[in-house]
Amino acid sequence: MFLFFPLSEFWRTLLASIIGLLTLAAIMTRPFRWSEARIAMAGAGALLLLGLIRPADAARTLLRDWNTFLFFLGMMGLSALAETAGLFDWLAAEAARFARQSAARLFLNVFLLGTLITMIFSNDATALILTPVVYVLVTRLRLPVLPYLFACTFIADSASFLLPISNPINVIIMSRFPLDLQTFLRLLFLPSLVVIAINLGIFYLLYRSQLKGTFDIDHLPTAEKAVKHKAYFRYTLWVLALVAPSYVIASAFQFPLSVVAVAGGLLLLLGALFWKRTTLREAGKAISWPIFGFIAGMFVVVRAIEDTGLTLKLGKLLLHLSGGTSFGAVMVGTFGSALGTNLINNVPMAVVMNSSLGSIQHAAPAIRNGFVAATMFGCDLGPNLTTVGSLATILWLLILRQRDVDVSGLDYFKVGVVVTPLMLLAGALTIWLCL
Amino acid sequence: MRILCCLDGTNTKQVSHAAQMFSTAEPLTIGLLTVIDAGPRRDMDRTRERFWRPPLRHGPLTDEMQDAERAVSEEILKTALCDLPRAETLLRQGLPELEIVNAAADWRADVVLICARAEYGEPPHIGPRSVGHVARFVLDHAPCPVLLLRPLAGEQFPIRR
Repeated sequence: MFLFFPLSEFWRTLLASIIGLLTLAAIMTRPFRWSEARIAMAGAGALLLLGLIRPADAARTLLRDWNTFLFFLGMMGLSALAETAGLFDWLAAEAARFARQSAARLFLNVFLLGTLITMIFSNDATALILTPVVYVLVTRLRLPVLPYLFACTFIADSASFLLPISNPINVIIMSRFPLDLQTFLRLLFLPSLVVIAINLGIFYLLYRSQLKGTFDIDHLPTAEKAVKHKAYFRYTLWVLALVAPSYVIASAFQFPLSVVAVAGGLLLLLGALFWKRTTLREAGKAISWPIFGFIAGMFVVVRAIEDTGLTLKLGKLLLHLSGGTSFGAVMVGTFGSALGTNLINNVPMAVVMNSSLGSIQHAAPAIRNGFVAATMFGCDLGPNLTTVGSLATILWLLILRQRDVDVSGLDYFKVGVVVTPLMLLAGALTIWLCL
Repeated sequence: MRILCCLDGTNTKQVSHAAQMFSTAEPLTIGLLTVIDAGPRRDMDRTRERFWRPPLRHGPLTDEMQDAERAVSEEILKTALCDLPRAETLLRQGLPELEIVNAAADWRADVVLICARAEYGEPPHIGPRSVGHVARFVLDHAPCPVLLLRPLAGEQFPIRR
């Protein structure tokens, strides 16, 4: 609209900044329980309507990030269709069998299984599919539910930087700041192991009394029962055996990961349709379509803010805070991103950081790589602090707590507050040492 | 006398034994209550929200969760009925502490029997934090007297001054 009514640069900058910041604030507080997708789309719509970003620029921004959109699609499809095959139930049943009736060993196996699933399917699959599967398993085994649910929820984030595909945030950041597989692994593999070990160790300490028991093998479901259709299950295993190394090869050659994810998803879909394990309609329902609106909205909003130079200033501030050292870059990147993810969720934070880090392009390689790896690390692991929601959710839970009702969501926060700062610090130090 | 026994899957023997101590009371009605805890499902929904997904309401995963919860609860009640064959059974779903106090009021209980906390294989513990949040809430909010059951832990005495 304002395209037709010339505005001074100052007013354009001010308006775009206000709309951008209001969008981020609304994502943080979710007024009227509006979904994040709706808020992000409304922000982007307002910017377009007011002519604060040109439609061509918005379209160019979205097209530039096609890899992110397709990766989300492929990742959700792969997880949903593997679940249809009963893969997660089967893996959980096997994990219980290998535990040989020990609650503590089952706890360890759930951690290992969560790590494996996060590594191959991304954190989404662990948090959303493995968690209910493990809940069913431990309920049937008459074991205390909470430690196992904590294990699934936390490991989904703690194992998120083992590989580039382990969290879509990595794909978002690497689409702007590509790292070859060797550099990615050099910077983030060892910190991953350190963080997972700390997570496991602290959880064992916290829940040692609840994990002393054993479970009755008779309550254990058979692995065969988990498999809903043998031929499709075997086919799923073959497809995944193909997809997992393809991810690694694609990462090594900096080939778009989304292509592998979508191809794997399509292969599974073909198999599921062939063996009548799903329909196109059902498969479509398994995809969370509002995510695409949310990401698209965020990309457009942040692009408009970027045009005002605000994110560039943020980037310069981060660089200044880092003191121009690699140690500072890792610490500022890690804790800045982690704090941001707890305020506005990790996807918006990753997009904002992507834009802000534009100003470090010409910094020394150690500082640039330090910032990029630390941003991925902070955005991936940061949500463990308030793992069942943002800080706004936690504040709401605290209000409920004052009404004398025990709020289990707060248990996650209590654990997160203990374990996450420690993991962030240890991981950041390890990244710095690996630089 | 109406006695409401709260079962959590780890305390059947202890609660049954305590209820039998009231056997001389006439007329005696025993209620066996178990609650399917809605907390974990609520947490899972919150996690889903963080990943921009709607709450789990329908579908195979939800069915499996419901089946598992119901099967375990029914088995807990069935096990307790072996010791207290004439007892009434009550199965509820929600936050355990709220469901227990509300059930005590609805069922017009004269006394509630509850264990200090669920025991999963660890030795009995006496001291700070030995009463779990559910029992603590019931002690604070129950509409009738509450009998708090604890395991025998004589070996932990005398307490040092």
